[in-house]
Amino acid sequence: MSARYGMVIDLDRCTGCGSCMMACAAENNVPSLPQATARTGLTPMLVRKVSNGMEGIARRETFIPILCMHCEHDTPCVKVCPQQAVEVDKATGIVMQMPQRCLGCRYCMTACPYHARYFNWWDPTWPAGMEKSLNPGVASRMRGVVEKCNMCHARLHSAKEKAAASGKREIDLADYVPACVEACPTGAIRFGNLADKNDPASQESRSPDAFRLLARIGTEPKVYYKSKEAWVRALAESSSGPSLKVAPEVQHG
Amino acid sequence: MKVTRRDLLVWSAGAAAGLLVTPVPWKLLDDTSIWSQNWPWIPQPARGPVEVKMSACTLCPNGCGMKVKTAAGWPVGVAGVSSHPISRGALCPLGFGAHQLNWHPQRLRVVRHGANPSTWIEARIAFAKACSEGPVVVIDGYPGRAASSVLQSFSRRRDGGYRVVLGLETRALAPYEAWSGVPASALGYDLENAKTIVSIGAPLLDGWGPPGRFTRLWAERAAGNADPQLRLIQVEPSLSRTAGRAWRWVPVPAGAESALAAGVARVLLEEHMVSARGPMPPLTLAEAVAQTGLTADAIRDLARKVVARTPAVVIGNDDNPAIAALNVVLGATGSRGIVRRSKRAEPYVSADAAIPGARAIIVDASVPWNFSPQTDAEVFRFAAWDGGSSRADWLLPAPGFLEDLTDVPTAPTFAFETYAVAPGLVKAPHEVQSAAQFLASIDSTLATAEKNIHSRCEDLFRGRAGTLRGQEDTPVAKFASIQKLEEQLWKGAVWVGEAPHPVTLRCELKEWPSTVPSAHPENWSTTWQAPVLPPLATKLYRESNLREAPEKRTA
Repeated sequence: MSARYGMVIDLDRCTGCGSCMMACAAENNVPSLPQATARTGLTPMLVRKVSNGMEGIARRETFIPILCMHCEHDTPCVKVCPQQAVEVDKATGIVMQMPQRCLGCRYCMTACPYHARYFNWWDPTWPAGMEKSLNPGVASRMRGVVEKCNMCHARLHSAKEKAAASGKREIDLADYVPACVEACPTGAIRFGNLADKNDPASQESRSPDAFRLLARIGTEPKVYYKSKEAWVRALAESSSGPSLKVAPEVQHG
Repeated sequence: MKVTRRDLLVWSAGAAAGLLVTPVPWKLLDDTSIWSQNWPWIPQPARGPVEVKMSACTLCPNGCGMKVKTAAGWPVGVAGVSSHPISRGALCPLGFGAHQLNWHPQRLRVVRHGANPSTWIEARIAFAKACSEGPVVVIDGYPGRAASSVLQSFSRRRDGGYRVVLGLETRALAPYEAWSGVPASALGYDLENAKTIVSIGAPLLDGWGPPGRFTRLWAERAAGNADPQLRLIQVEPSLSRTAGRAWRWVPVPAGAESALAAGVARVLLEEHMVSARGPMPPLTLAEAVAQTGLTADAIRDLARKVVARTPAVVIGNDDNPAIAALNVVLGATGSRGIVRRSKRAEPYVSADAAIPGARAIIVDASVPWNFSPQTDAEVFRFAAWDGGSSRADWLLPAPGFLEDLTDVPTAPTFAFETYAVAPGLVKAPHEVQSAAQFLASIDSTLATAEKNIHSRCEDLFRGRAGTLRGQEDTPVAKFASIQKLEEQLWKGAVWVGEAPHPVTLRCELKEWPSTVPSAHPENWSTTWQAPVLPPLATKLYRESNLREAPEKRTA
């Protein structure tokens, strides 16, 4: 039976510490390039700070981790890719990006309603010797290709290898935990098989507080969010998208 | 058969069309795209056997448990250890990039004398000369380690002093030391049993104490609940990460924290909400209102909320006696709140004051980079990375992340005594050595850090108290030999002591302490000791609005 791997991110638990971003970058060999900026950098997991727009004691802020939503239906990036470099894996529901096929046209970046895709403007480089600290499960990508969250596919491979070694066909979900999920100190990110009704993540995705970003466009993302705050839920359907409703200031001192 | 020009054209066109239905051109296209992404200048990960080893993070004194994935012997990724009693599987964001620190461009690899490169031999000669001319003071930023014992023993033999740079969390416990006589290093916060926590400027959800301790507690007992089991009240001028996630945020201007503490204490005592345990603050409620900008009703309401669910404890961000006095008024010292975790601890002399009369000063690599001793003596500073603008006479390269065997004493603020070992997982470059190794090479009669770790393990084994917590919990009394105990500690287990005894902390407070301004809470650097950040952390500054860049912070 095919799985539908997805996440439920409880925004009321997210403290915006950035552990998920750091763990994601380390796991996926994302380089830290000094010339990169917020517009040109690679952040497959990007935690954004958003506010209710009020000032003073009425002000509220929250943090929204933005990653590839792994859209299930009419996946916009898949539809526009001329190279078949993006596809929805039928066995897992993961939207796969294959940098080897990508020619860097960036149609997929334009098509993605969540701004969750990034273009490699430069060849990856690390300070001398630091390439020894790269994760051997993930190849580094060259300039000129698009990349994004692939739900730590290298970890899925490891889980499959482990299952195969013990003669099983299905993986044990405890062996497949994406880096951001593992790193979250408050347990705000829950990962699981949404197709399994008994899976805790699947159950949480059906809670009344759960929502998806831009649900009205019908892409059926497999990344859900949860919040008891009405203003946070309202942001999900904002016409400009949650990724653009960002508090301009940086963290208070 | 005669081959005509027409036949040749037909055959060529047919071959071209036929080739398109074979895999050849498509395979070539595919391979070209793959080859074009495997240029020799694109760095590729090291290949070799992949292993997972246990250790502990040594970047700050919290000592979070760490699972380190290695490939071909090099650390390639870190993760938390869910069974770790202090960090409970969490790491701070910086910890996730710590394995890359050893290759940071600012890694120190040569001895420096002033601005010039020098050698260990010259440094040794200069230090030996200084030792023969006068006392040597040693400054430590991570006291209680086996290496600290080496530093302490050396300073004692050289008629110098042993000074310590304490973090803000430990400094916040200093008033209780003055009132009870119990060293601040023996005190901790009992957060696990608290039902109300009032944080006056302490970044509880953003770098205060071990990252997994309070954040996990908050996530389990408070997050997202309108009426949580654990009420967190954050008093802070701005909407910080902690204030934004607190049950209540009380904004007061910076510097008015002491006035608020005095105002709340006055309401508690005047309205008999607590049994009188402390002196009445001299500050009137009207004065507290004027200084804090809150209304009298807001201060009364805050006082009621503090005692509505007990045990309650107040946590400050620095050495602020007024905040500590509020805890005494609340009765939050002794059995709950501020507890004594250890009977053995000794008081430390702070390195903040001027150091007169010393001929030389050794600064250990654990001392925060921004700390500069107030002295005219010759300064020998150990550091793994050069954070820039050093005022040391000698800069001596020290082992980097997980390059040195060290032990992990109890984390500041923790309510129980703990002990762990962080084995070095990477071979240190030959040109580096720690302050303890340097001093042991000068004075060969000093016990090395390795010997001290072994003797501490012996002490634990002979004490027969506490439990070793790893994949499973084992009481120390059940260990048949010291070797077995050490083996478990080397594999990542943590020794946890027994519950603190409540009656051993009595704070005598005769009059309300004078008001002092609190330190402004620092962003993300409360306990950060290293002079540089992992490259991935600087990436995070540049490419998101999540954190403030270090250069902005220091500006």
